[in-house]
Amino acid sequence: MRFLLAAVVVMFCAMAASPGQASYERANALFVAKKFPEALAAVEEALRLDARLVPALTLKAKLAMAANRYDVARQSLERALAVDPRAQYAQFLYGMEAYMNNEMTDALTRFQRARELAPKDPRAALYLGLATESVGQPKEALALYQEAVRLERATGQLSAETLLPGVRLLLLLGRIEECEEWARQAVKLSPKLRDAHFELARLLLKKDTAPEAAAEGEVALGLSEGTATDSAIHYLLVRAWRQAGQPEKAAAHAAVMRALETAPVNRAQ
Amino acid sequence: MAAVYAGVTGSQAAAPEPPPIRFEEIAAKAGLRFELQNGEAGGFHQIELTLGGVAALDYNNDGCADVFFTNGAAIPSLRKTGARFPNRLFRNNCNLTFTDVTAESGLAGEGYSMAVAAADMDNDGWTDIFVAGVKGNTLYRNLGDGRFRDVTEMAGLAAGEPRWAVSAGWVDYDNDGRLDLFVSNYVEWDAAKEPRCGTPERQYYCHPNAYRGLPNQLFHNDGDGKFTDVSKASGIGAHVGKGMGVSFADIDGDGLTDIFVANDSVRGMLFQNEGNGKFTETGLEAGVALREDGHAIAGMGADFRDLDNDGRADLLVSGILNDSFLLFRNLGGRKGFEDYAQRTGLLMSTRQLTGWSLGIYDFDNDGWKDVFFALAHLMQLDRYLGRKAALANRVYRNIEGKRLEDVSAGAGAEFQLAAAHRGSAFADFDNDGRMDVVVTAVNGPAKLFRNVTGGKSHWLGLRLRGVKANRQGLGATVRVHLADGRDLYNHATTAVGYASASEAIVRFGLGTAAAEFVEIRWPGGRVQRLTGVAADRVVDVTEEP
Repeated sequence: MRFLLAAVVVMFCAMAASPGQASYERANALFVAKKFPEALAAVEEALRLDARLVPALTLKAKLAMAANRYDVARQSLERALAVDPRAQYAQFLYGMEAYMNNEMTDALTRFQRARELAPKDPRAALYLGLATESVGQPKEALALYQEAVRLERATGQLSAETLLPGVRLLLLLGRIEECEEWARQAVKLSPKLRDAHFELARLLLKKDTAPEAAAEGEVALGLSEGTATDSAIHYLLVRAWRQAGQPEKAAAHAAVMRALETAPVNRAQ
Repeated sequence: MAAVYAGVTGSQAAAPEPPPIRFEEIAAKAGLRFELQNGEAGGFHQIELTLGGVAALDYNNDGCADVFFTNGAAIPSLRKTGARFPNRLFRNNCNLTFTDVTAESGLAGEGYSMAVAAADMDNDGWTDIFVAGVKGNTLYRNLGDGRFRDVTEMAGLAAGEPRWAVSAGWVDYDNDGRLDLFVSNYVEWDAAKEPRCGTPERQYYCHPNAYRGLPNQLFHNDGDGKFTDVSKASGIGAHVGKGMGVSFADIDGDGLTDIFVANDSVRGMLFQNEGNGKFTETGLEAGVALREDGHAIAGMGADFRDLDNDGRADLLVSGILNDSFLLFRNLGGRKGFEDYAQRTGLLMSTRQLTGWSLGIYDFDNDGWKDVFFALAHLMQLDRYLGRKAALANRVYRNIEGKRLEDVSAGAGAEFQLAAAHRGSAFADFDNDGRMDVVVTAVNGPAKLFRNVTGGKSHWLGLRLRGVKANRQGLGATVRVHLADGRDLYNHATTAVGYASASEAIVRFGLGTAAAEFVEIRWPGGRVQRLTGVAADRVVDVTEEP
């Protein structure tokens, strides 16, 4: 206990002693406020004052990733991890950098290390699962999704976003009952998240309950929060209404899709 | 209870296990020596990825399928400089050896060739060749004496802005007895304006999103050696995509051939033939436009065939890593299609594959059409995967139209060898009744997979000869009624897979049964019934007046 207290004091002193700490904290506040150019300037100032300040190196990587500068992010994270190989969040972001760059073998190694450093962090389990699924190991991926859900449940912080990768994979695997349980839970947790309703609608269509699928799809379409595209939801609705015996509604959604796809084409051309 | 259980499961004798589908690779032994050259020189040009069309055709009517390979060119000149770039024609000597007859045929060509469409476009009994390419297509008329003549200008196909075509096919869309030409165009491309993609340290090939898409083209065969561009009038040209493989079938039984185009990272397009010279694009309504979750896969090859023997052409489309290949079951009439990839097991088993060409043929002649995929990941995916991008091809056995079982592991030692496979063409090159396949590979030797599947299953081939219909009867649908009461279906087309053309003969595996009668519905709707058709041979069928 005495040793632990001493370690905390040493860490606090080390942090407090960093000449870049104030600039880093300012940078972090600016990042949270989504003032990215100002945050970048502040984090550069922090690193000018202390080139080994791990939180600043990590924040710089986050900023770089937001700007699609994965090369800069990688350099910054490698410097952070050289200073502190046990920096959990830097290690997680290092995995993200590889994942976003489609370098899955590196992503797997890095997320695995992040899991070792923070075994109770559901993010590490979730993203290790996503990378694992990407390289064609669905059973192992599903186990990791289940672990991420378990970890979040243990803290009482279960989110729909953590459930949804599992919902998608369970649907692919044809494990309909488990998929439905998770999908309905996601809808309950985030009733305003279109992704949750969309995934539930896909499941209902797969179950040959087209009217229910169409109803759920229409709910998804009416929501704005989430990553499911309008186009994907309309496509589901085209098929759901057709199967439900309402071709005029299907045709209406197809017409909207065509309007959506010609608009960006015209702009691009 | 035990008796009930036995009654359900044990009353019928188990069907004998069919022999495994097996191939031996004999290209070098057979003298089919060809290396597809993409001309890459570090510029990461998009065109380097997508070439490789090959055709199986009987150009000299000797009853033995010959092989025509398209080939690349130097970049950026797009010229076939040097001996490594010509297109090549190999004559089948009818003894499973081939002779390179490119020089005398006049088919060496020019430009960066991508794809080939082969059919008798002028109804003279000789198979002609259309070569699609980057900024230039060429139509060759078969003169019947082993030579071909470039008739592109004369045919009116040289006009207009040159585009990058990736596939093409011959189809009689208006049932006037003359084959029309459909050209699948990819994206706008210029070597001098190639975008740079990747990181500052490492350049990649760009995603197709970096290029503008193009509309496809339809050329009406006027019958006097000339073609008229009807892209606009038919409605085909109104739809911009990133066209790859093209496939034809009468999907709704109205006697008119419909057209599917697989698009790269853009939704698939189904052009439903309205019969008045116009097409309506119905991919969304028919349910074949996108993956089930609304994702546009990187569509590559396509083939329409009846996989479940219900008389309706189903649709198979290949894609890239993490896409999963698409399989749609045709529900008949205008009911559209349903997703069939998951139920057949194809969804998960193809998720880690990248497919180019493909073909649906009954490789074991058991009466159920199987599936062949020519595979290779994109060359830059080695870092994603942590291993080489080359892949071995795959063959899936069709289990009574309900499951597709990956039987590649038992398909022979040479079948397991990885390469950057691209195009494929299907024919029975040795006339033994078993479908063989020739496959191209980027910067590597072509492969000829001779089908050596065992067993004693029967088969039947129909070489159609249209009179009112086009000479090869392309577009005809055929039903074979078996003595055991089952019906088998197929249709005549040479547009199969990706950038490639296959033999025009309509083939059936019969299993242990005999054909009671054969019914041919010719383009235009005339129905002809044949009885007393013996199995294990190719039968010549001339359209009755």
